[in-house]
Amino acid sequence: MPVGSPRPCDGGACFLLILAAACCMVAACSGRPALAEDVTVEWTIRPRPPVAGTAALAELTLRDRARRPVRGARLQVEGHMAHPGMAPLVATAAERGDGVYQILLRFTMRGNWILLVTGKLPDGRRIDHRIDVNATGPAG
Amino acid sequence: MDAGSIIESMSMPPARQADVLRWPVIGAFLRWRHARTSLQLVVLLITATLVAHGLFGSQIGPRNLATVVTWVHYRGLLVIALLAAGNLFCTGCPFVLVRDVGRRVRQPWLRWPHRLRTKWIGILLFVSVLFIYELFDLWALPRGTALLVLAYFGAALSVDLVFAGATFCKYLCPIGQFNFVASTVSPLALQVRQPETCRTCRTFDCIKGRPETNQRGCELGLFLPAKIGSLDCTFCLDCVQACPHDNVALAVGVPGAELLDLRRRSGIGRLTERWDVATLTVLFAFGGLLNAFAMTAPVLDLERWLARVMGSTSEAPVLAVLFVVALGAVPLAALGGAAAVTRHLTRPTSYSVGQIAVRYACALVPFGFGVWLAHYGFHLLTGGLTIIPVAQSAIIEVVGWAALGAPMWQWTGMQPGAVFPIQLGFILLGSIGSLALSYLISERDYPDRPVFAAAPWLGVVLVLAAAAVWILSQPMEMRGLGLSG
Ligand code: SF4
Ligand code: SF4
Ligand SMILES: [Cu+2]
Repeated sequence: MPVGSPRPCDGGACFLLILAAACCMVAACSGRPALAEDVTVEWTIRPRPPVAGTAALAELTLRDRARRPVRGARLQVEGHMAHPGMAPLVATAAERGDGVYQILLRFTMRGNWILLVTGKLPDGRRIDHRIDVNATGPAG
Repeated sequence: MDAGSIIESMSMPPARQADVLRWPVIGAFLRWRHARTSLQLVVLLITATLVAHGLFGSQIGPRNLATVVTWVHYRGLLVIALLAAGNLFCTGCPFVLVRDVGRRVRQPWLRWPHRLRTKWIGILLFVSVLFIYELFDLWALPRGTALLVLAYFGAALSVDLVFAGATFCKYLCPIGQFNFVASTVSPLALQVRQPETCRTCRTFDCIKGRPETNQRGCELGLFLPAKIGSLDCTFCLDCVQACPHDNVALAVGVPGAELLDLRRRSGIGRLTERWDVATLTVLFAFGGLLNAFAMTAPVLDLERWLARVMGSTSEAPVLAVLFVVALGAVPLAALGGAAAVTRHLTRPTSYSVGQIAVRYACALVPFGFGVWLAHYGFHLLTGGLTIIPVAQSAIIEVVGWAALGAPMWQWTGMQPGAVFPIQLGFILLGSIGSLALSYLISERDYPDRPVFAAAPWLGVVLVLAAAAVWILSQPMEMRGLGLSG
């Protein structure tokens, strides 16, 4: 078998350039409202663990550093399966007063779910919180 | 023996009819000198984007391009391309593009050792990738997925900068081994157009290349006049470019027919003498079943039970046992058993049990392909559209605002229930292919008693088909946190 000779092309250079550009863009990520780092998110879910195919009620409690309830937040929950390409859950939380927010969720599949709680506080800062939940049977 | 006498001594494959290279647009593109490089550049661009996002972006699998594109789109499109055309993903392979650039800096100076010119290391790597995928739940790990992709680039580059030819592709690359096996049931293959022209050819550029124009010949060691089917062919189209007589066709043929062919083929030899290729085809089929089984709910129960029995708290040994059983014990028992029965029913026979198993092993390829299609097709069909919201949310991560709009998470794909009949169709199609191949192999090897010889193999295929249907009908449980999750 003859020793192969490569064809001329500049793919490698392109690759490095693109990678560098992508890195810069990610690093330059900016212009977002500040994260409300002093706000804690506590949560419960009923039933626990939630059962796939039936409704589950999640309750989120937002408190500041002095453990005072944080009111008036606009929160959404985005629920993803651990595996990519599965239908996510998207729901908006309803405020129940005293920093308590409720969301009705219907997990479509058993397995590990990642719930991303995102939203805005009245002062404009961001909430970004991750909750891991395991949904059990019986639904497929 | 010189190339001319090789041609004379070899029965030439019959020229097939339709030639995709003669089709308008597609044919013209494929014959263009830079067709492969441009495909590779596109794939490289996509790969660079998803690697960057995997390394630096959101580490939540379903929101990251690395995990979504690799495990939903790439795998799904790869098997669909193999079903509809051939090994197009090796054509567009970005690892080889980077390797080619590396070779402009440094030429390889060694040849891959003769003793290693088998599939054994490739088989080991193929199983290792399947194992790593399950052990680390790679589908849920953007950074892990990006690192795996980078590892492929690194491996292809470092191996092929030392060893000449397509050493990495032919002997090592796990994706390549998968594609090679699957492409034996693809409809397209690169073939000689007019055998007569090869008989009078004196340059053999398709294998030797044309150094004066920097055109390489087949790096996989496939000499076109003696090439049968697509096994080991990366669809790199070098032979198309190299042949001075324009005598290479991308021909349409009967999927799987090459698996029946007893002739000695260039760069491979006789299939019936290749234990490594037979092992690869068996692992292709059983690996497909295991990979699909691993995403169902029962596998988790099984793993937990095994962990209790073994007194193990970590997943690795439990998974290892599962792999040894599913990819070792079960195939050995199934093929060994069927071969022993065939031998018994066709007495007196000249083949040993091992030889019979090797001769029938490739019959499992269509079934295995059906399983991979059903599984990867499922992810693509149910989740293909998630690329849109994921790209939207990636843009938000990068620029800080919704430049492409707020992520439309309702975009996913078909309902899993609607995909199930399609999956059943793939399993059915693959199983019919394997049943037919089993019978045709029996007719070939035992013309007096084909029914007796085939009976145990038909049984094996039917049992495997039932297992595949059972697996696909199980509730899925997409774990991403290991045993404890
Ligand atoms: S065998 Fe592997 S490295 Fe070679 S072209 Fe195919 S995917 Fe790329
Ligand atoms: S050069 Fe070899 S590997 Fe490439 S397309 Fe032709 S036969 Fe296949
Ligand atoms: Cu899967």
